[in-house]
Parts: sequence; C-alpha cells; structure tokens
Amino acid sequence: MVENISTIITGLGLPSGEAFLALVVVVLAIIGLIAVISAIRPVLSMYPYTYPLARVRARKGRLFTDKQYTELLESQTTEEVKNYLRGLPDYAKYIDEYPLEKALDTQLAETYDLIARIAPDNTKDPFTFLMKKWDIRNIKSIIIAKEVGLSEEETMNLVVPFGELSDKLNTLIDADNVDEILNNLEGTDYAPILEDSIPVYKETGILLPVEASLDKYLLENLLRTAATPEDDNTAYLHEYVGNLVDITNIKMILRAKADGLKYDDIEPYMVSDGYQIREWKLKDLMESEDVSGVVNGLEGTDYAPMLTESLTDYTETGSIQAFEKALDNHISKVAMRISQKNQFGIGPMIGYLNKKENEIKNLKIIIRGKREQDLSASVIKEMLV
Amino acid sequence: MVEVALGTALAAIGAGVAIGFAGLGSGIGQGIAAAGSVGAVAEDEDMFARGIIFTALPETQAIYGFLIAILLMVFTIMVPGKEVSAALGLVAIGAGAAIGFAGLGSGMGQGIAASSSVGSVVEDPDMFARGIIFTALPETQAIYGFLIAILLMVFGGLLGG
Repeated sequence: MVENISTIITGLGLPSGEAFLALVVVVLAIIGLIAVISAIRPVLSMYPYTYPLARVRARKGRLFTDKQYTELLESQTTEEVKNYLRGLPDYAKYIDEYPLEKALDTQLAETYDLIARIAPDNTKDPFTFLMKKWDIRNIKSIIIAKEVGLSEEETMNLVVPFGELSDKLNTLIDADNVDEILNNLEGTDYAPILEDSIPVYKETGILLPVEASLDKYLLENLLRTAATPEDDNTAYLHEYVGNLVDITNIKMILRAKADGLKYDDIEPYMVSDGYQIREWKLKDLMESEDVSGVVNGLEGTDYAPMLTESLTDYTETGSIQAFEKALDNHISKVAMRISQKNQFGIGPMIGYLNKKENEIKNLKIIIRGKREQDLSASVIKEMLV
Repeated sequence: MVEVALGTALAAIGAGVAIGFAGLGSGIGQGIAAAGSVGAVAEDEDMFARGIIFTALPETQAIYGFLIAILLMVFTIMVPGKEVSAALGLVAIGAGAAIGFAGLGSGMGQGIAASSSVGSVVEDPDMFARGIIFTALPETQAIYGFLIAILLMVFGGLLGG
C-alpha cells in the first residue's frame, strides 16, 4: 500500500511525500477559498442595507395602526386632530410650526429626505432625484400663488421646506411675477423647462403647460435614473419607479379622454416613455377615442384586469375615480410584493415609502372630512386608502 | 533559520484556520448586526442595550475558534521538544477546518438574523424574546463544528495522547 502511494507520488513528478502533502494542503486551501468567497458574496450584498433597514423598520413601527385611525376618526374638529398628532413624535415637531396640511407634507418630505440620505450608493440616485418632487411642487405652488395674488405669508404656507431649492424659497416667494421667479431659478434644471412653458402660460393664461412640463421632466428623468438595473435591488427599484411612471401616464390619459381631449391636446404633456407601456403604446392610448378605448388598449399589461373591473363603475358614475383608486391599490401591491420578496435589500424601503404616502393621504382625507364636509367617522373610514 | 517539522507546520495551519475563518464569520456577522443596531439606536435611543445584546451574539463563533486554536497550539506547537507527526498535523487541520468553516457560516447567518431581529424589535418591542430565539438558532452549526473539532482532537490523539 505504502509502496503504491510512493509510486503514485513519484509518477506525479513530486520528490517526496512531504511535497505531496503540501500540494494536497494547497489544493484544499484553494477549494476552501472558493467556497468562502461564494458564501460571503451574497452576504456582503446585504451589508449596505442593514443600517437603512433598521431605521426604516423603526419608522414603519410608528406608522398609524387601525386603532389609531379609529381614534383619530372619533375627533370632532381639526383642532382635536392636531392635538392627537401632537402626541406622535414624527408629527409633533411640525404641527405647531406649520398649518396642518403643510405639517403633513413636511413630514412626508422629511421621510423622502431620510431615505435619500441613508439609501446605499447603488440605489441612491432615484431617491435623491425624487426629492425634486418637492422642488416641483414648490415651484407650482409659488406660481399659482402669484397667479391668484396670495400674500407672501399665505404662499409660505403652501411650500414645503425640503428639496434642492429649500434655500431659495424666500427669494422665489419674494418675486413680484412669474418672470422674476424664472430669473431666480436661473442655473437650476428648472429654468430651461420653464423658459419653454411660461411663454405659453403668459399667452393663454392656462397654467397646465407649466405644471405638465415640470411633471414630465420629473417622471422622464426619474425613470432614467433607475433605468440600468445592476442587481436585484436596482431591478426592484426600476420596477417600482416604472410602475409609478406608467400609472401617472395612464391616469393622465384617462383624465384627458374623460374630458374629451384629443391626441394633439395631450401629446405635448405626456411622458415620452414608460415601463410596461412603451412609447408606441402610449401613442396608441393617446389616439384612443374614449376611456374604454384606453382600457382595451392596455390589454396584455398588468394594468388591464384592474381597469377592466373599474370600467363598469366608470360607465355608471362617469367618474374616473374608480380607475385612480384601482391604480393606487396596484402600486401599493407592487410595493408590498417587492418589500416581501426583497427583505434584506431595497424592498422594505420601497414598502415603507408607499405606506407613508398612504398614511399622509389618509390623514389629509380625515382632516378634509372633518373641516370641509363635516363627514361622519364611518363615511371618512370608507374613503381611506 | 529555525527548522519547523512538517507536522508542526500543519498543526499551525489548523490553528490558523480555526480562528481565522471562525473570526471572519463572526466579524462579518457582528458587523451586520452592529450596522442594524446603529440604525435602530438612531431612531430610538432605548434600543441601545437590546442592540448590544443582538450585536454580541455572533461573537461566540470567534470564541469557539479561539479556544480550538489555543488547544491545538497548547498540545502541539507550544509543547517544548514534542515531535508532531504529519498525521497529527492533518488531524489538527481537520479540527481547525471543522470549527473554522462552521463558525464562518454560523457567524454570518447569526449576524443576518440578529440584524433582522433588531429591525423587528425596533418596530415592535414585543419581538425581543422571539428575536433572540431566532438569532440563537444559527449558533447550532458552530456548536456542531466545535464538538467535531474536540472529538477529532481527542480521538485523533492530539488531546490526552
């Protein structure tokens, strides 16, 4: 036996048994190293998400529960709603500083800001870009405020102190007219967009071109920032952002068709591409004769079943609200699915952002229900997302 | 130059593998758990103590690896004049690999579980006990590795031989 082993070792060209042993150890070491590297790599991909996920889950634990909604719905006045929100750390800091709705929007903007700051590098860009949503909202609010002649103080109550333009808000609000706002935006991404749309607004007096051009810029570029999925996390983010863009497009087309607008009327304001609904499909949808044509045109996409179900509701009421609700539910389901499938990556961040959006929507519904329509708790509850 | 016998060299590799890989797993696991805990503490200062507990759990793999490495060294390299055969050296590598690789997997797994548990606890404080149980489960692989390493050393003639 020993002789046989010696013959094999000599046959391999090795001078001694010790050299053979060394060779065996080296081979085992290489195999071990390959095994270790393959085991470590997937774990290391989770590493950048551990810190943000803990923060997100802490905040998720502070989201409104059904019990809290029920308690809030029992409030008789908006002052009681305010008092309730004062007891919640996330809202308390803004409630006394701003009017109620601005306080809610500021809290939501702060959430977006947090996610953009803590997101790992490979998924940071789309979240950072999403902060422009607040710039665009602020620009729209300031232009509208100028249009209707609101005072500086009233205008200040409409803007949210987040986004790239947060330092410029006072200057923008101080502007006497839209041209001055445009001058103050010089050097930002928004100046070239507004340079094209403001002349149209001045000529027609309609703000839609200004608003639509800003929305178009946001959505087109948002999709672009998430357009090159490198791994699971970026692929899921692309899916979520893509669904957001598609849903915004579908809502715009449905609204336009419900108002009887033609292709030429809406084409300049539409986002040129989408996720499931690509450029050619968007054109087809815009060319549809009516709302049911749009719904039929979506056949083969994820959006078709839910919109077909809502078609009856639309036929009965003539309101596209059922479509909008179905599409909002769809994006919530997409967020929840991503959150469950990608638990150690971007998933919970997407899930939380969506839930936070819904929470703010619900709080606004409750406030409006109490303030403007004095609706009963059960009626408002029906309206919640 | 000091002449090192092949058996002694192999035993040294065994000790290195034991603490090296177990420490690697423990370090990665503890890093993951610590990053999660820092995030939790950033949102809720009361999470500090619980975060420390979850972060400390993946330390055990490094301790097992350290113990085996020390034992290997005490019974081979550190015994003056003891001649370690190549066969004993291979037994030492086996023992080191057993705890090293088991500790690597166990440490990483425990780190992920600990980080998730910290997230659950900060979301719902009632999850603490259940989080500890789930986090303790990946400890078993390290215990298996530790036991096999000890058995290899005992019956391979390294301990008490």
